[in-house]
Amino acid sequence: MTFLQPLMLASLPLVALPLIIHLINQRRFQTLPWAAMMFLLSAKAMSRGYSRLRNWLIMALRMLAIAAVILAVSRPLSRGWLALAGGARPDTAIVILDRSPSMQQRTAAVADTKLETGRRQLVESLIALGASRHVLITDPAAEPLELSDVAAIADLPAAGPTAVPADMPLLLQAAYDHLTKSSAGTSEIWICSDQRSNDWAAENGVWGGIRDAFARLPQQVRFQLLSFRDPAEANLAVRVTETRIARRGDGRELTLTVAVTRQQDGERTTVPVTIEIGGVASTIDVDLSGREAVLKNHVIPLDRAAGSRGWGRVSLPGDSNAADNDFYFVFDEPSTRRTIVVAEDSSCRRWLQLVAEIPPEKDLKAAVEVVEAEAFATAALDETAAVLWQGPLPTGKTAESVEAFVGRGGQVVFFPPETPTETVFAGFTWKEWENHPRPLKAVSWRTDQDLLSNAMAGGALPVGELEILRTCSVAGDHVPLASLPDSVPLFGRVANGIAFCGTRPTARDSTLASEGVVLYAVVQRAIDQGVAVLGTARQLDAGPAADVLGKAGVEWRRLVGPADMLATEAGKHAGVFETDERLVAINRPAAEDAGVIAADERIDGLFRDLTYTRIAGTAGRSDSLVQEIWRAFLIVMVLALVGEGLLCMPKPAGKSRPAMAGLRPAEAAA
Amino acid sequence: MRNRSSPGSSMRRSRSRSEPHGKQAGSGPNDVHEQVRVHNQVRFQKQGEPMISDRQTRSFLDPAVLSRLAGVPLLARKPMVGGVSGRHTSPHRGSSVEFAEYRKYVPGDDLRRLDWRAFGRSDRFYVKEYEADTNLRLCLVLDTSGSMNFSVEDGPSKIDYARRLSAALGYLASQQGDAVGISCVADGIVKTLPPRRSPAHLRLVFDILEEAAPAGPTRLPEVLHELAETIRQRALVVVISDLFVDPDILASSFSHLRFRHHDVAVFHLLDPLEVSFAFQRPTRFLDMEGAGSIFTDPVDIADRYHQAMNSYLEAMKRVVLESGIDYSRVLTDESYEQVLARFLVGRAAGRGLR
Repeated sequence: MTFLQPLMLASLPLVALPLIIHLINQRRFQTLPWAAMMFLLSAKAMSRGYSRLRNWLIMALRMLAIAAVILAVSRPLSRGWLALAGGARPDTAIVILDRSPSMQQRTAAVADTKLETGRRQLVESLIALGASRHVLITDPAAEPLELSDVAAIADLPAAGPTAVPADMPLLLQAAYDHLTKSSAGTSEIWICSDQRSNDWAAENGVWGGIRDAFARLPQQVRFQLLSFRDPAEANLAVRVTETRIARRGDGRELTLTVAVTRQQDGERTTVPVTIEIGGVASTIDVDLSGREAVLKNHVIPLDRAAGSRGWGRVSLPGDSNAADNDFYFVFDEPSTRRTIVVAEDSSCRRWLQLVAEIPPEKDLKAAVEVVEAEAFATAALDETAAVLWQGPLPTGKTAESVEAFVGRGGQVVFFPPETPTETVFAGFTWKEWENHPRPLKAVSWRTDQDLLSNAMAGGALPVGELEILRTCSVAGDHVPLASLPDSVPLFGRVANGIAFCGTRPTARDSTLASEGVVLYAVVQRAIDQGVAVLGTARQLDAGPAADVLGKAGVEWRRLVGPADMLATEAGKHAGVFETDERLVAINRPAAEDAGVIAADERIDGLFRDLTYTRIAGTAGRSDSLVQEIWRAFLIVMVLALVGEGLLCMPKPAGKSRPAMAGLRPAEAAA
Repeated sequence: MRNRSSPGSSMRRSRSRSEPHGKQAGSGPNDVHEQVRVHNQVRFQKQGEPMISDRQTRSFLDPAVLSRLAGVPLLARKPMVGGVSGRHTSPHRGSSVEFAEYRKYVPGDDLRRLDWRAFGRSDRFYVKEYEADTNLRLCLVLDTSGSMNFSVEDGPSKIDYARRLSAALGYLASQQGDAVGISCVADGIVKTLPPRRSPAHLRLVFDILEEAAPAGPTRLPEVLHELAETIRQRALVVVISDLFVDPDILASSFSHLRFRHHDVAVFHLLDPLEVSFAFQRPTRFLDMEGAGSIFTDPVDIADRYHQAMNSYLEAMKRVVLESGIDYSRVLTDESYEQVLARFLVGRAAGRGLR
């Protein structure tokens, strides 16, 4: 605690005044010859615990009242939660900033966002704390930023808002790495966040490791979480979930599906959604009743003169969080759906080729290239959206090519070989075939997402109607997408971009081919996913997925987005960027719109066994964490005086006193 | 000495019984003044001093009070055994006007007491017996321990109060022909004077009262035991004390006195300040009986003091009820005349018990 009038503290010895008065009072006693000594002696002998306690309490309250007055006059400044730091000056203060879009929420009354308030309060606190070194970590991939001036945090671009969710486990990992590398002494890690579930990933298993790592550090590390967890009030978010271009007569049409979401249920309301394409804006009213309203397949005719490629923006009127009111989208003529089929079995090859080369819509073009496994590396993988691979798992250079293809965003669906080998690819391998004398039928499959999700109209795929005669078992981690009885996988996903089917479309193995809908849907959806990533117009989530923007050698032009964006921050801000060939729209990830806030207990649990303090902040709070608190001392003084008065109150007379009236027979008779 | 008056003369006596003692019959307050004066004169003459003014009086004797109190007799609640005829009932048959019983004549009985009328009716010899009236011995037990010296600035000390009570009682008893003695009690019996009937003896009693100086600790219970044994015959024992001893210990002393057929009356003197304990400043309390001092803040300790006082008074009340003594609790700011009047009237109301 610091004081504006520290000289007044010199009068603190006055606190002893009640004690001195008491002692003086004790000195001016009277001496009295006394006859009824026997009562005095027995009164003395009686327990006087409460009486003694009461005297001490009265004395303490009087001293407290004086101390409070002196402290109030000294005009104390409270560092509030800074006091919790224990006063010890840390060697290093590491600041971890959550710059996710949700941190741009503000209250109705004040213009400051959570991020701005947090940064300002951090600066004030860090100045007060006076650590020797200050380090800012906002991006786990980037080097921690050593700050020469703490105040810079308030206006550093690297501390500004982004469209990227904050990956707290990775950020803390980066802080840990920095602490171990820099051999810092006593350190304090300041986290400014709004406790969004998607930022903290509290269920992630890495937290245990992070906790242990920090606990094992030789130096003392304190955690301070400045938490802005108030939920957004009446915040709406908009998002384009699908763009499709179709030819209609001479012209072309853009079909958009727009979703407007809010974080709490509310009254039915109409939201004006503005769609802007090529500088032309149109507003559509969307009725929002529950949490989400979807403007499905909104058709916008496109200007014939404009090229096939373009971008647009969907926006909402301003609300408490401006960061989720805009969503950028790009569109282009669908590129050819190029698929490579690698199959050792001719029947399989035929079926796979067939389902891959029939485009789902008549305007789309599809091309299938059948290659041998050995020649796979030389195929035109850059333009390929998906690979259907039936045969032994790739090895050597072929495997590297497949991995590179998947790494670029391509999709691979593996089908089992006739003779399973020991080859392991991406952590999984084919084991052996099992014959099922009675055909098995799928008992469960994921209808909410991925390859077997329900059709657009809402109906489920007829996966349960497939009859499976043989399955090839799989070893390795995977997420089952469809399961036969006894948890035998029919479809599964091994990793992002790698899926497998536990049987083959041949008549000997299953009815995948004869009941072709499921196989067709799986293959076309895999191709769709590949096209979405590899196409010339791409929608990307800000963050690691958009790292392509930061790659050297390709120059991206900014069509729309923050003007003052740093080159190192490419891919972290929403906007539309283009090269000669490609067009990319970067937006916040969908999880940001969910607005799920992790419970305090959950967050506290992540730091258990560590020195940790959570401080509740409020967006736009204008008062700094350092503030005058003399009122509190005056209140303390008043309370102390009231307490003293209550304790000093004489007991109701006559309760314990012998009734004098009873001693006088005449009076008693009266 | 038996009163040999006949039944006829008893009728005359019974008329005068309701009046003050025969000596004072028809006399008023002036006579009381005269009595006090005479006592004083006797005293001074005895000391070989010249006769001085009639106004020379004892500080603790107030003639006006005495004259007012003289209207009510001091009566014993128990039969007394006295040497002469008096105002008190006797356990023996005597010759008062109050018929007691018929008894068969035995040879040797005085023929004059034979009830001829009864003989005429029943042809048997009966002797008519009457109640005897006798005098009593009044033993004043005055507590002269240090604690009796307690007084507040404007009030009388307890010893002064006790002097007045003792003197008035002694005077009243003497005036109705009773013997008066006194024992001053502190650490033991400091001074004692056995009961005698003569007015000159009363003067000695007053002397002792005047010279009594409170000092030393109280050993009242032991002294009461001693007195119970040493007072030879039934007596009215009047204890005037602040009774600052354990009531349970006192109980046995009272029981002892009762066992010896003494009629016990107690004046329990308390100063109002001792009861209220109303002090504001820290005080060093010096024990008046020499047992050191206690320094305390009375405000702090008052509730516990009152608690102790209450339980003491309760215990005393219980002891009094169990011992059957005539107990008067007296606050020293009361008028002693009232206290005595109450005492005398209370006893007169109980008259008739044999």
